[in-house]
Amino acid sequence: MHELGVVIEVVNVVEKFARENEVEEIDTVVLQIGELSSMIPKYIREVYPAAVDGTLLEGSKLEIEILTANGRCQACGTVFPLVKNEGVCPTCGSSDCEMLCGREFYIKEIRCF
Amino acid sequence: MSEFRILEIKQSVFADNDKQAEELRKELKKEKTFLLNLMSSPGSGKTTTLTKTIAALKDEMKIGVMEADIDSDVDAHTISETGAKVIQLHTGGMCHLDADMTKQGILGLGTEEIDLAILENVGNLVCPAEFDTGSSKNAMILSVPEGDDKPLKYPLMFTICDVLLVNKIDVMEYFDFDLKACEERAKKLNPNIKVIPISAKTGEGIEEWAQWLREQVKKWKEA
Ligand SMILES: Nc1nc2c(ncn2[C@@H]2O[C@H](COP(=O)(O)OP(=O)(O)O)[C@@H](O)[C@H]2O)c(=O)[nH]1
Ligand SMILES: [Mg+2]
Ligand SMILES: [Zn+2]
Repeated sequence: MHELGVVIEVVNVVEKFARENEVEEIDTVVLQIGELSSMIPKYIREVYPAAVDGTLLEGSKLEIEILTANGRCQACGTVFPLVKNEGVCPTCGSSDCEMLCGREFYIKEIRCF
Repeated sequence: MSEFRILEIKQSVFADNDKQAEELRKELKKEKTFLLNLMSSPGSGKTTTLTKTIAALKDEMKIGVMEADIDSDVDAHTISETGAKVIQLHTGGMCHLDADMTKQGILGLGTEEIDLAILENVGNLVCPAEFDTGSSKNAMILSVPEGDDKPLKYPLMFTICDVLLVNKIDVMEYFDFDLKACEERAKKLNPNIKVIPISAKTGEGIEEWAQWLREQVKKWKEA
């Protein structure tokens, strides 16, 4: 379960940010995860309570937004969503494509008091 | 209680680590210490390959090893028998090493003593791919019994590696492993990846690998 290590990193970054911005209580943490990131949202949700235990984030809600992975066809230049098309260009059928995005793992924002 | 607010962070989770890794790389460059980050699944042959690598290079350069893999008390002992300097990193059950832990390890080894530092990373192909350790080059080992379709399952790892060692080729005939297909899959993900078939058991291919390392260490010290 490699998500735990990464979620602990999330907690570190958010705690640091919260301290710098004099936040006392965090209601929700919002993450953005690329469709092709190696982080699986289900597992992130599962380890979250353990990772935030005893930190400023304890008791906060977790929201995850999924970012579409897009690729550009090397043959014809079409930009298309990779997962929906299973990596095959919908215009010309080539499977030679360059990934433009989809591996992101961002902390988007926190909602707090 | 103050009012409800939304504070934008918009930070990649890996940003802090990436920054520390970049700093460590710069320091290592200044110290003329080359750092190899060696990754694989558990049991692919990292420790065995390391002992062969050290034997091939120890008369030409000073080598230090940082052991981070689970089970590595044994590994550290095995490596120490080669005569190389070895230290044990305590990852506290983490699934990867980050730049900060690597830096602690480097301080433990002491750069003034070391030309080639090698990190035996935690045995897994997912998390170590996400965390830059500050290494000069990344290498991964894929062993024959794991199958030639691994590049399809762990694309990121193949993207970030400079070298792919295909280990245990001595048992190739017992497995349905297509070396050419494996190489093609790896090259599709990363056209610059160098593929070296080896057997850490028989020593086949170790010289080509040692030669690659020799050249990299030399380049690192020059520029
Ligand atoms: N047949 C064969 N076995 C190997 C080879 N390299 C390593 N092994 C065996 O694979 C097992 C795991 O090797 P080890 O170096 O401990 O892997 P690590 O977990 O990646 O450090 C050991 O039993 C080794 O003897 C090889 O080239 N051929
Ligand atoms: Mg080992
Ligand atoms: Zn196309």
